[in-house]
Amino acid sequence: MRLRHMLLLCLLLAGCSEAPSTESVLKQDYPALEKAARGTEVRWHMWGGSAQINQWVDTYVVAEMKKRHDISVVRVPMDAPVFVNKLLTEKAASKNSGTMDLLWINGENFKNAMQAGVLFGPFTDRLPNFTAWYDPQKSAHDFGYPVNGFEAPYGRAQFVFEYDTDRTPSPPATLAELASWIKAHPGRFTYPQPPDFTGSAFLRQVFYATTGGHEQYLSDFNPELYAKNAPQTFTWLSELKPYLWQEGRTYPKDAAALDTLFARGEIDMAMSYHPVHAQMKILEKTYPETVRTFVLAEGAIFNTHFTAIPFNAPNKAGAMVLANFLMSPEAQLSKFKPENWGDLPALEVAKLEAAQRKAFEEVDLGEATLDTDTLSAAGVPEISPEYLELLEKDWDKIILGH
Amino acid sequence: MGRRILWGLAPLLLPYCALFCAGMALTMAQSLGLFLPVGPEEATLEHYQILLEDQAMGQSLGLSLFVAFASAAGSVLGGTLLALALWRMPPGLRRVGVVSKVGLILPHVAVAFLVLLMLSRTGLVSSVLFQTGIISSPEEFPNILHTGSGLGMILAFLLKGVPFALLLIGAVLFGFDIRLVQTARMLGAGPLRTFWSVTLPRLLPAMHSAFIILFLYAFGSFDIPFVLGESHPGMLSIRVFDIFFQRDLSQRPQAMAILTLMFVFSALFAMLYNRFAAYLDGWRRKL
Repeated sequence: MRLRHMLLLCLLLAGCSEAPSTESVLKQDYPALEKAARGTEVRWHMWGGSAQINQWVDTYVVAEMKKRHDISVVRVPMDAPVFVNKLLTEKAASKNSGTMDLLWINGENFKNAMQAGVLFGPFTDRLPNFTAWYDPQKSAHDFGYPVNGFEAPYGRAQFVFEYDTDRTPSPPATLAELASWIKAHPGRFTYPQPPDFTGSAFLRQVFYATTGGHEQYLSDFNPELYAKNAPQTFTWLSELKPYLWQEGRTYPKDAAALDTLFARGEIDMAMSYHPVHAQMKILEKTYPETVRTFVLAEGAIFNTHFTAIPFNAPNKAGAMVLANFLMSPEAQLSKFKPENWGDLPALEVAKLEAAQRKAFEEVDLGEATLDTDTLSAAGVPEISPEYLELLEKDWDKIILGH
Repeated sequence: MGRRILWGLAPLLLPYCALFCAGMALTMAQSLGLFLPVGPEEATLEHYQILLEDQAMGQSLGLSLFVAFASAAGSVLGGTLLALALWRMPPGLRRVGVVSKVGLILPHVAVAFLVLLMLSRTGLVSSVLFQTGIISSPEEFPNILHTGSGLGMILAFLLKGVPFALLLIGAVLFGFDIRLVQTARMLGAGPLRTFWSVTLPRLLPAMHSAFIILFLYAFGSFDIPFVLGESHPGMLSIRVFDIFFQRDLSQRPQAMAILTLMFVFSALFAMLYNRFAAYLDGWRRKL
């Protein structure tokens, strides 16, 4: 008899501990969430490939979260495709209590996660910093895929080219000039192999510039439009292929491999989806001090990166408090400073109070970084992932011969 | 009796079955379009068909086979020659063979980086040649790592494979009864004849094992191709990684189909190779 009672109790307890997570967290207001999250631990899974970013999280974020909210943040380094895969497996196995609380995510990974239904939300409307400082329109789409409140904006990145003034006194200003520069300097240019993130961005950069701008792609995916326009992009790329590094037979695997080639002087131009990257490399002494960046007149792609919460996050309240903190003007400013990270803020600087606005304007991004005005004047948005996937697929077929 | 052995092995067999067989079953199911995170649940052979019709996939298979064969054959040959050379040395000098252990200890990925650092056009060897004036610009250094034939990968596999083959073959050779050779020589056999009829037959089983292990490892390995591989044609393992992690979810069954085919090939290869080796052995004995 007693045993049966115990069993019943166990079952009840188990049932209780499962149930409240999703529903009640979304019903609570922020102060209640904040209170519930005190004294807990938040496991933040994020790409761990940059020592500087890791350092910023491990010092600034961890200390501030402890001080303000009594939350212990644990950074877990993991590539986005890997944690999305982990979630897919956990969903398939109906594992409702996971190990990850917050994710750093965007683009295809977000789309894959949304399609498989492994994210928790919508939650951004619960976060006071989002409502106060952000333009909901600007973060309504992630690579053309609707966000619907399942992701909190965290930072912004923009695509720039890098060159060494010692080797290249005046960089090309337009795509046509870039083409003639490549032809005049055979073997000195290449790009990371798509679907690498940076290489794929370069591909879209060329796609916009060779087909008359990004505006036409902003509405929903249009297969006829792609079929009509894409050949121009691939003609441009094919014509230049023989003039690339290794005659275009092989490409660096990722942005890091491209950086290495550039730093060792095997090529004269590099690119990054991070405007401050060159400055950071100079500070690291990997690049010579004469390296500068430029954008093409046709525009430079920017995107927003986000944080999201898995469907089975054990500490959803804590994750929301952390996401909210990361959006705060203080965290965004700290992240913006190049000695910390140099990531562009996702918030609307114009919405801030005068003193804070001034602090943002005073941040010195270094000689090698273009000023914010040039960058925002050149900014063009990302387009829907369908275009991206087709471009990558056709690049494989046409350029690589796969 | 049989049951008792099974029980005794259970602590090993159960995790093995659970992890390996379940993984294998899931891979096969997903290659047929079943149990996918998204998409319709319908068995189809469409993904295999895409692979078979894809010319580049054929090139990737060709490259993987070539790299695996060249590195395994080269390793076994090199390992055998080195083992024989060490064997002929006076026992005191045999300790020199310890040097080969360095290659065994280094992880594959470290060897891959070693090759990359040494042999790329702006690598150490090229820099030394340039500084000493032997070549006038780094461009003159032969483009070893980008020949399109996997030469860089083969070099890295050889660095790992030769010591491994040396270990396997040397173990047989050093335990070999020297009196057999002496008898053959006394009976009037020349050095070649002695090697062919006395020494080699005793080495062959170890050589075959080394070949199979090295071939299959290189065929499916990821680390060395990831560091030293080229864009086109890519090694099969890299294609799988690429499709699995970097492409749309709808393409996942293709990655699983490649994995399934690689597994079937490896199993068939090991089986056929053993048959072939046994056949050769029987044929030799008849002679």
